[in-house]
Amino acid sequence: MNAAVWVVVGIAVLAAIIFFSQYNGLIRKKVAVDEAFAQIEVQLQRRNDLIPNLVETVKGYAAHESSTFEKVVQARAAATAAHGVAEVAAADGAITQALRGLLAVAENYPDLKASANFLSLQEELSTTENKVGFSRQYYNDSVRTLNTAIEVIPGRFFAGMAGATKRDFYEVPDAENRNAPQVKF
Amino acid sequence: MALDFRARQAANQRKTILLLAVMACVMAAVVWAVAYYLGYTSIGVVPIAVFVVVGGSWWSYYASDKLVLTMTGARVVDEQQAPQLHNLVEEIALAAGLPKPRIAIVEDTAPNAFATGRDPAHGLIAYTTGILQLMDREELQGVTAHEMSHIGNRDTLVATVAATTAGAIALMTDLAMRIMWFGGGDRRRDNDNNNNPIMMIIALVVMILGPLAALLLKSAVSRSRESLADATGVSFTRNPAGLRRALENLESNTTVVHSRSTALAHLWIESPLDNTGTNKLFMTHPPLKERIAALRQMEGETV
Repeated sequence: MNAAVWVVVGIAVLAAIIFFSQYNGLIRKKVAVDEAFAQIEVQLQRRNDLIPNLVETVKGYAAHESSTFEKVVQARAAATAAHGVAEVAAADGAITQALRGLLAVAENYPDLKASANFLSLQEELSTTENKVGFSRQYYNDSVRTLNTAIEVIPGRFFAGMAGATKRDFYEVPDAENRNAPQVKF
Repeated sequence: MALDFRARQAANQRKTILLLAVMACVMAAVVWAVAYYLGYTSIGVVPIAVFVVVGGSWWSYYASDKLVLTMTGARVVDEQQAPQLHNLVEEIALAAGLPKPRIAIVEDTAPNAFATGRDPAHGLIAYTTGILQLMDREELQGVTAHEMSHIGNRDTLVATVAATTAGAIALMTDLAMRIMWFGGGDRRRDNDNNNNPIMMIIALVVMILGPLAALLLKSAVSRSRESLADATGVSFTRNPAGLRRALENLESNTTVVHSRSTALAHLWIESPLDNTGTNKLFMTHPPLKERIAALRQMEGETV
């Protein structure tokens, strides 16, 4: 076989390699974003599950602070109904704010602060807030990777084929809610 | 020039690739030198050396987590035994998008930590009782992020590749020298090939210096992976201060871990051998002062 045939074969092999690596790369990045978002929802769910326990514990010592409890319970209900990045992020922000209110109330009750139940909830709540924060961070990192890969050359030529589109970042709407409620006593 | 953590990560990755490429060249040069000096029938020394070293290195890489647990006396702890530690590690695993590694504790008053495992699915991070007592949550999380970076960046694999190459070079030259010493090798008895004396000398020099070059390169690879782990750790926590305060703490603490074997020295976050007057070129970690300075720069960048 003459050289020309080998050259053609070589080019074809190279083209195939480029095609597969680009296409597959985009698919993987797309799936990573989906998985990262699901992870945020897992962590938010964990936080939601902690809330009834927290509310009951605080109620035990501060029964008349009903408006504060109401806010938390309502925010939790709204979070359960939220779908899609924007809604989930907004509900997330509302819960953070409501929890901050609840913990501020708890500040005024030294008996509550010293109770074993509340102390063990402290670590749980603190770590859960951190986990929500980190899972948001990882989601945004994944979105950044995907959005960049779709826009650069040669990725942009394969984006349509791979069904990869730009995704939204997880943005916390209210600046105040960007910091997790402090659980230090 | 102040670099943010992403730029540092990219720079360190390029450095590793460069160093490994240079190492491959050294290997090629040594193979040539051995072949040239001894004649091509003694070339058998190359596959023997490679086979022995690869066999040994790759087994220890594959079973690295079990091996290290045995060598350091670390015991794995579950969520009931160390709840806060598990929470802390899980937070970093989420930030890194990696599976949560197993956690182990080593009974030792010296503060230190290491990570191992052939891939992220088999990861393991161990802490000494000393470091758990000395550091607060933020510092411990910075250390954990650094260790998780080693797992995520496949540093066990990189270290094994570097060690295998260096080991093969050392063994090849050793075998070649022995063959030479005992009067073997066709080249010297060969009359009809041109025995260029200058090339012979060059070949000899390469064989003598090869292992030294390989060792220097291996140490350089280790240092660049440590810098990479610091930067990657920041990409997880977005909080350079945590690791920086942890390293400052380590700087002022002079106790050293009991498990000081040279085989494991590179794994710890602070090498137990680095204060023993080791020449800077052979250190497995960049000096603590440099690492702290780099983290301070990153603190300036991160909002």
